[in-house]
Amino acid sequence: MSWIHKGELTFIERLSANILKAGPMPKHVAFIMDGNRRYARKLHVERQQGHTQGFDKLAETLRWCLNLEIREVTVYAFSIENFKRAKDEVDGLMELARQKFSRLLDEQEDLEKHGVCIRVLGDLTLLPLDIQKLIAQAVLATKNHNKCFLNVCFAYTSRHEITNAVKEAAWGVEQGLIKPSDVSEFLLDECLYTSNSPDPDLLIRTSGEVRLSDFLLWQTTYSCLVFQSILWPEYSFWNLCEAILQYQLNHHALQKARDLHAEARVLQQLEADRCCAAELLQQTGLGKPLDPQLRQEAVQKYTAEREGRVHSFLTALQEKRDRFFTDLNKGSIASAKA
Amino acid sequence: MMAVVYEFVWRMLHALLHLQRTILSWFRISIWNWNWRLWRRAVAAVLVPAVFGFQNHPHNNKKLVPGGGKKSCGRVRWKSDGKSLEKLPLHVGLLIAEEEPRYTDIANLVVWCMAVGISYVSVYDNQGIFRRNNSRLMDEILKQQQELLGLDSLKYSVEFLNKSNEKPEQQVLSCQATVKVLSPDDGKPSIVKAAQKFCQLVEHQQQRSTDLDVNMLDSLLRGTKGMPDPDLVMKFGTVDSTLGFLPWHIRLAEIISLPSHINIKYEDFFSALKCYAGCEQRLGK
Repeated sequence: MSWIHKGELTFIERLSANILKAGPMPKHVAFIMDGNRRYARKLHVERQQGHTQGFDKLAETLRWCLNLEIREVTVYAFSIENFKRAKDEVDGLMELARQKFSRLLDEQEDLEKHGVCIRVLGDLTLLPLDIQKLIAQAVLATKNHNKCFLNVCFAYTSRHEITNAVKEAAWGVEQGLIKPSDVSEFLLDECLYTSNSPDPDLLIRTSGEVRLSDFLLWQTTYSCLVFQSILWPEYSFWNLCEAILQYQLNHHALQKARDLHAEARVLQQLEADRCCAAELLQQTGLGKPLDPQLRQEAVQKYTAEREGRVHSFLTALQEKRDRFFTDLNKGSIASAKA
Repeated sequence: MMAVVYEFVWRMLHALLHLQRTILSWFRISIWNWNWRLWRRAVAAVLVPAVFGFQNHPHNNKKLVPGGGKKSCGRVRWKSDGKSLEKLPLHVGLLIAEEEPRYTDIANLVVWCMAVGISYVSVYDNQGIFRRNNSRLMDEILKQQQELLGLDSLKYSVEFLNKSNEKPEQQVLSCQATVKVLSPDDGKPSIVKAAQKFCQLVEHQQQRSTDLDVNMLDSLLRGTKGMPDPDLVMKFGTVDSTLGFLPWHIRLAEIISLPSHINIKYEDFFSALKCYAGCEQRLGK
């Protein structure tokens, strides 16, 4: 497979991997693959070659992740901000994407054998139509694979993603599926492009920059952030082990913080449901029943109704998303037949 | 059988790393009086296992080795320090990722920020401790302002921005800094509230869902007394995470880690600012 290198770890690498695996391992790792252009400058080659080397390094890293039993990887391949770059560089990156996605479609058997599910996250309508169609084919072809997951953020920024999630919720209100008060952290989680993935446990950024640059801002609030100064095309298995070690050192504290947040979220939702149930009772003219048992029942009824509304909305949202890809795919089949 | 061996080696490795961390922090506390910077660097170099290559290029090193050195002298120096930097952040977020906050040290940090010329400072911890002890922190900041800035404190006025108290505490004279105390409620829950607000507008047909864009959501979040986005997050403590600090607003913030806020020295604070001044933002280009 062109996207995942063949090959196994050396003896020393396998030994280190086994030692690391004795401790808690991240299940989902996100990468900001920074430093391709600086690498090209360093080696006095063309920028485009830096990006190509960067892709090869991605394929190698995915192999190491599979060896370490890290089943889900998300990568920041192209930001909406990157459209600001020089035209020839953007065109070069689009051509690279075209080649790599086409190659992927030729390797469907291998992808099926290894159970690789490819997802592409971002505002795909900003991309050239032919690339959108290639992406749609790749996503639909691997939709039901479930051994490992690769999420490629392409034409993506986190603020766009969050804004889009709020827009979807507003669409749900427009369609009469949910009420504004049904909007919660959980609902927005499900409206994000990453709704099918758990939050990343570990975020790695290479090339020494220490910022998030609009990548997974919502999803990485309790992730372990590791900033490494190595340039992406020079990334090694040992750099990955170092990052995992950092994750293991932070694991306990982060778990504690995450649990605290989850508890607070549950309480907030309960409080919100209580308020809404009370308001409803006011509106129906029954006032606030003094009997705590009745009040409790009213809250439980409200919660069940809210969850029902949210469930219908999420089903409709999933159908809308699937339709986007199937429509694109129909378009490419039609043009192939013509 | 092999699983037992691997687990043993793993435990040894982590015990070693925890020991290294403890020794480094012990050194930091016990030698803060000494001006032996070279000695300190040598010790740190020996203790950091080179085979793991943890810290690479020193000038790219965004995790600072704890400082010692002479006591700082004078507010005049602070103002000129600020001017000497290539760039100064407009808004600094102080992220305290430690269990027991020390109010005096945090107040020092806030006052140094003001003295150096930073206009906006926010203070955050992920358990909402500062939010609950808001007035205690404010009092400490005013006290340290008097102590550290002395006669000059009249020139610097602090405006505290909190949900309960929107009025400025003192008269605005010449320099003004705005201090805000934040908690996890200002993160995702605020985004949820903004989303609900927009959905209510849609429900009343004052907006359509397709009208929403990034700028609109940004203004819904910022509200009327909004601060600019943090350009720099100074994270104190050994936890490598933002712990829910303003997820929307930190999209371009540089995140510089310091080992602890306890007994923090001005030199360490200023090194973080120097680090920030050296960062180059390409903004996607």
